[in-house]
Amino acid sequence: MAHGGGEDEGRLDLVPMIDCIMLLLLFFMMTTKFSSEEKAINSLLPTDKGNGSTSTEKKDPPQTVNIRIVPEGMRKGYQPGEYLGQLDKIRAPGQVIGNAWIIVGGAEPLLVTGNVLRAKKSSEMEKQVEEIHRYIETALEKYEANGKPRKEQNDIVIHCFSGMSWKYALLAYDAVRAYEGKVGQIKWTGDPAELLAARAVNFAPPRIRNYAADELGQELFEIVNMK
Amino acid sequence: MSGGRKKLKLPQQDDYLDLVPLIDCVFLLLLFFMLVGRLSTDERTEQITVPPTKTAMKFDAKKGGWTREVINVFGNTQSGDPPSNTIRVGTKQWSASGINDYSGYQALRAMLDSIYDKAEKYDDVKVKGLKLPKVIIEIRADADTEYRVVQEIQQVLTDTMDLTNMQPKKNYDPKTGKPFVNLDFTTRYTKD
Repeated sequence: MAHGGGEDEGRLDLVPMIDCIMLLLLFFMMTTKFSSEEKAINSLLPTDKGNGSTSTEKKDPPQTVNIRIVPEGMRKGYQPGEYLGQLDKIRAPGQVIGNAWIIVGGAEPLLVTGNVLRAKKSSEMEKQVEEIHRYIETALEKYEANGKPRKEQNDIVIHCFSGMSWKYALLAYDAVRAYEGKVGQIKWTGDPAELLAARAVNFAPPRIRNYAADELGQELFEIVNMK
Repeated sequence: MSGGRKKLKLPQQDDYLDLVPLIDCVFLLLLFFMLVGRLSTDERTEQITVPPTKTAMKFDAKKGGWTREVINVFGNTQSGDPPSNTIRVGTKQWSASGINDYSGYQALRAMLDSIYDKAEKYDDVKVKGLKLPKVIIEIRADADTEYRVVQEIQQVLTDTMDLTNMQPKKNYDPKTGKPFVNLDFTTRYTKD
């Protein structure tokens, strides 16, 4: 095939090409990452709620549905100092708080295992997420104001103990979105405009500002005893 | 160095190594990495395990003048005494050690102010006279980040806080603020 006809001269010198390809290969191997693709959940911060922080004296507005997230085992009926004692028992130095309770209204708390949610894709993780969705859906159905458009439904506020993992609050938000999508027949697209027409769902502003240890007890007291 | 060899055979034409299978392999590998791999862009280099969710979507394409800023939040945020959090935007990074260290929030706010000034704006529907920037702020927080840090960043974004003491601003006038309200939380789909 080589037009030169000579057997030896017809050979291509492949070494420079191999050098190049090896370099390219090395480059792609080094810069590639195989993490599963990241996605996003959109949210809207309120501009009309005045400024921020829920001060300790202020009463929560009556028409909100509160989703509370506290460390596992935090029941009603204790004093702030006692909650702090319970907290100190759960949080080991150098470790995150293991499990959470999600509570809506007077329903029994839902236990969420923290480690499962950190894992890569697994049936346990999917099951856990499914449970959270089902729990919040059942709870929200009770607070449904029939016939009203989504925007006029009671606001939902997610109260999470400040020292816990962020994942619980995000999953609660996810479950609320799934519920709103189902009941209001909303197809979430990520467009900033769609949130203006939807029911307000907010993450509660910080309850305490000076994070002295005893204030953590106070914060737990407030969240656990919230309506 | 090569003294061990008794007989050194001179290369002859027939001794060319057959490189074709090697090239085949390397090409296949190259193709594989080019197709499967995703180049890590500068703003997402940090290895963060984001929380799984079900209603997640792909990132919205930047259209109609919208831009995106990614705020990475990671670090030793619940453990350690005191816990230390790191906030990173682009190449800028601030680590706060201890829970009453607000320097990271102040630096973040300074950066947000300049982003606000440059961004395209639109009118807020709720507060008359308030201009909102066409910027989506993406909070890319590790699943085990303390909730408090995400909470505080949201407060910083609303521009309602006095960041020297993290108390609400006195005599706050919503019209003079530089708030960012459109958020994206980075997550992954439970089935991915």
